[in-house]
Amino acid sequence: MSKPAIMRQMPQIAHVDVNCFYASAERAFDPSLEGRPLVVLSNNDGCAVTRSPEAKALGISTGDPWFKLAPRAKEWGLVAKSSNYELYGDISSRVMELLGRYSAWLEVYSIDEAFLGVKGEPEQLLALGRRIKEAVRRHVGVPVCVGIAPTKTLAKLCNKWAKNNPAFGGVCHWDSVPWQQRESLMDRLSVEEVWGIAGRLTKRLNVLGIFTVLDLVRADPVVIRDKFSVIVMRTVLELRGTPCIPMEEERIGRDQLIFSRSFAKPVTTVAGLRQVLSIYGQQASARLSKHGLQAKVLTAFAATSPFRQHEQAYPSVCVSLPMPTADPLLLARAAHALLPGIRDGLQYAKAGIMLTDLRPTGNQSPLKLFENRHEERGIGPLLEDVSRKFGRGSIGLGQAGIKTGLDWTMKRDMRSPRYTTHWDELPLVRAA
Amino acid sequence: MGVVVGPRVIDAGASLFSVLISPVAVAAGFPSPAQDYFDGRIDLNAYLIKDITSTFVVRVTGDSMEGAGISDGDELIVNRALEPKDGSVVIAVLDGELTVKRLRLTASGVVLQAENPKYPDINVTALSELTIWGVATRCLHHV
Repeated sequence: MSKPAIMRQMPQIAHVDVNCFYASAERAFDPSLEGRPLVVLSNNDGCAVTRSPEAKALGISTGDPWFKLAPRAKEWGLVAKSSNYELYGDISSRVMELLGRYSAWLEVYSIDEAFLGVKGEPEQLLALGRRIKEAVRRHVGVPVCVGIAPTKTLAKLCNKWAKNNPAFGGVCHWDSVPWQQRESLMDRLSVEEVWGIAGRLTKRLNVLGIFTVLDLVRADPVVIRDKFSVIVMRTVLELRGTPCIPMEEERIGRDQLIFSRSFAKPVTTVAGLRQVLSIYGQQASARLSKHGLQAKVLTAFAATSPFRQHEQAYPSVCVSLPMPTADPLLLARAAHALLPGIRDGLQYAKAGIMLTDLRPTGNQSPLKLFENRHEERGIGPLLEDVSRKFGRGSIGLGQAGIKTGLDWTMKRDMRSPRYTTHWDELPLVRAA
Repeated sequence: MGVVVGPRVIDAGASLFSVLISPVAVAAGFPSPAQDYFDGRIDLNAYLIKDITSTFVVRVTGDSMEGAGISDGDELIVNRALEPKDGSVVIAVLDGELTVKRLRLTASGVVLQAENPKYPDINVTALSELTIWGVATRCLHHV
């Protein structure tokens, strides 16, 4: 099916995501994990949230509780790691910085995936996808797959194909796949694999005889709208190549919240960015509160426009908060750690903050008062200094002390070093 | 023109090498002749890190690279984006471990060379069989 040149020049969307992100981040610094079954555990070492392909092959599912896996770990050669959000946050911001160099139109969708607006002939887009894949692997050390298509839903679908079909070599471009092959691929994929179709919807779609992606493509969008919602209709239209889901700039996921904006006019001063980061801190705080969450790790970043001809910079910092918080002041202050990396005079096109290591707020409201009062007296930084020198849990405030072992301290018995954010935990290289 | 004088708290999560070169103290009421020349402090990030996305810091254990001026406990700045060349000090993956060696690309094959006579060279048939993790660009030697 050949389209007129003008059609092919329409902007397309590249969806880039890191393969088994947490496991890949662990492997980037510990090559002994390569080829072994590996799971990364959720907060408090509860259950498996990321599985290496080898762990998937053992039949381990996402959400399998660790206490059930642990007895068989030795027999399987299974390695488990506690979540290392400091490491994942830093690796994520490196990946996003790198992706930002390929397009000014970047939506950081989650800690490990992003949408990029791209333009070009099919061969150029395929080559771009391969360049991106190679650059992330080489610069940051984690593998990614790339899906490129006219809509977000199709880009996600292409990415899935790129991941699951070795013939694509990790990069799949919708327009470059012959129509017959697309049909057979869509016919072989269950409808629940489509972005936006949750498990619950699947059963209702099945009742209508819609089992595969191809069935959904062939469904009448209007009937779908009437039986389901306009949102599901949009998904159908997107699968048919009509863009309906715009690029967004804010998103809350299961374990992270990302808040980023491109500026209408570049921000060129430290003072300007201080203000921007303060606002983001407050907005992120409101978001956290709304979802009953607190964050432990904050990553702040800014980027100059890759399309402008002036000097470019992509500063970012990853800050481990002294305690889980949704306090706007604390979040804004943490975001300000980015400011020493900002240079007056550069034209920053966007900035953002990402909150990771999220956990439910619980019954900690009285503590907020204490937190703030201690903040003013500078006790927070002091505690942090002591903890850094003598280890976590070596010192704590009265209330925090009581909480130890319950809400505050995370069980993270199997956490790898925070290789890129803590000077005392750098990766070791052998000279022997 | 404002000059920031005095200590600054550097957050643990902030850039790895924020170093303060103390600006000249300015006596009140008397303009410092140096004031007009202050052009920002030296930023080690800017000098030592060419690309923030691909640069990592690692710590050395062992003495096999003494001859290259790399001692036990030193930190190395490693750029993953650089192309390893003959003579590069590289971080290679050997037996599931990160190992620092001098890379030699010879007519008879690839050699990972230690810089200490106590340690033997390691021969690899081809560069493609070797995983190079990154290329060391600087050694932060403890004096």
